[in-house]
Amino acid sequence: MPRNKLAWRRGVFVILILASLALLTLSFRQTESGPVHAVQEAGASLLSPLQSWGAKVAEPFQDGYQWLKTLWSAHQRAERLEEELQILKGEAIKLEEQGEENLRLRGLLDLRDKGTYPDGTDFKVARVIGKSPTRWQAWVQIDLGSADGIRAGLPVVGATPAAGEVLAGKGLVGKILSVTEHTSQVQLITDSESSVMAKIQGSRAEGIVEGSVSGDLIMDYVDRDVVVESKLVIVTSGYGPVYPADIPIGIVASVGEEDVNIYKEIEVRAFVDFRVLEEVMVLILPEGTTASSTWTTAAPTSTTTAPTSTTAAPTSTTSTPATTVQPGMGR
Amino acid sequence: MFRVQLIAAGKALLLIVLAVALQVLVVSRVSVLGVTADIFLIFTVVVAMSRGSMHGAIFGFVAGIMADIAFMETLGLRSFIYVLTGYLVGMAVLRFGTTNAWGVLLVAGTASLVAQMLYGIVQYAMGPRAGFFTMVAAQILPEMVLDALITVPVYLLLARLRVIPVHRAGVGAARSGAE
Repeated sequence: MPRNKLAWRRGVFVILILASLALLTLSFRQTESGPVHAVQEAGASLLSPLQSWGAKVAEPFQDGYQWLKTLWSAHQRAERLEEELQILKGEAIKLEEQGEENLRLRGLLDLRDKGTYPDGTDFKVARVIGKSPTRWQAWVQIDLGSADGIRAGLPVVGATPAAGEVLAGKGLVGKILSVTEHTSQVQLITDSESSVMAKIQGSRAEGIVEGSVSGDLIMDYVDRDVVVESKLVIVTSGYGPVYPADIPIGIVASVGEEDVNIYKEIEVRAFVDFRVLEEVMVLILPEGTTASSTWTTAAPTSTTTAPTSTTAAPTSTTSTPATTVQPGMGR
Repeated sequence: MFRVQLIAAGKALLLIVLAVALQVLVVSRVSVLGVTADIFLIFTVVVAMSRGSMHGAIFGFVAGIMADIAFMETLGLRSFIYVLTGYLVGMAVLRFGTTNAWGVLLVAGTASLVAQMLYGIVQYAMGPRAGFFTMVAAQILPEMVLDALITVPVYLLLARLRVIPVHRAGVGAARSGAE
């Protein structure tokens, strides 16, 4: 680059900088009515028609842009609200679930507080984590095992949502059939292999409540001469080695009598709805004792009638006066 | 020779008018990232990159005065900044010869950053309206990005339309193209 050209370029640059600074200084120093401001105002007034014309021309485009912007933001807002709605719906369902769980747990507490259990009985609430896949067996799996103090043969009660009657929804579920370290299998009273020594409140009738493959509960071995009315409450009698006395089982749904049968056959409607069982409570009876030997109430009044029911079902393992619980076998 | 210079001056004048029209009619009405692009600065950068530092400085001076009038700002403020910017950009291109698309992007971004920093310093000296870092985050950086992104297509378009010299778009040409 020629030397004089470089100097010329630098000279122009310096002049322009100085001119700018001079303009700047003048702008700052002069009053609003000074010539520099007058020039600026003149320039601005020349541009103002262009600006207002531009504003008019741009208005539809701006409106369109604003419309698109609003549309986009509305779309985003709708998406956000939809997400919030889904979250709130989830929350509502969760709260509803918690409410129902609360009711069920309250039912279990009610069972614990109002029931009559042997001294030293502990109560553990467990969650149902599995169910029998077929109707041939009726059992549920719970999330407590030997590590939690659960052992085979312990009675299990439960509470399920049910409307109407006072005891509805709360009652006997079954007994622990087998135990692993962290889970247990509970045989339901509706299992065809299950039988529970029971009595009907208000009639002094006693018998054995048995399950069936169909899921129905039948109370058998009830003397024909005992008057049994429907809607009477059936509770455990406490005679067997497993179940303490006075745990509600269900109500008398219907009473059947056959000429060839020396016993009444009573259809029982269980308090617990086994289809919707979600939590249960395991009654951890003191080890080395049986339910029948340690109850605190109701037992004395039943002792006189006990022989009649035990002898009435000689083939039933439940009625056998076994003093030790056979894991998975005791009834 | 005089004819060539006259045509160049005419094109520069055309660019000034175009810059005013674009800035007043279009750009000042469109806000992106919360800022509006500075077409005067963009055109100054384009001219400086294509024609060199002296033309860049002169164009910057005139564009700055027009910008001061259009923006109703202190006369001389933007012309001072644009003269500096135009001159420095021209010198940088002459020195490094970066006139491909990425080079344009880089130079335009840097020029916008420098110009806005200068403008910010002046504003700050006259009484800050906001914290420095707030202005950097809310004004300087977004406008730097916007200006840089707009400069590239403007540069390529003006080069294609032969409003600015095409032969300077190459690196080698930039190096050899003396004032």
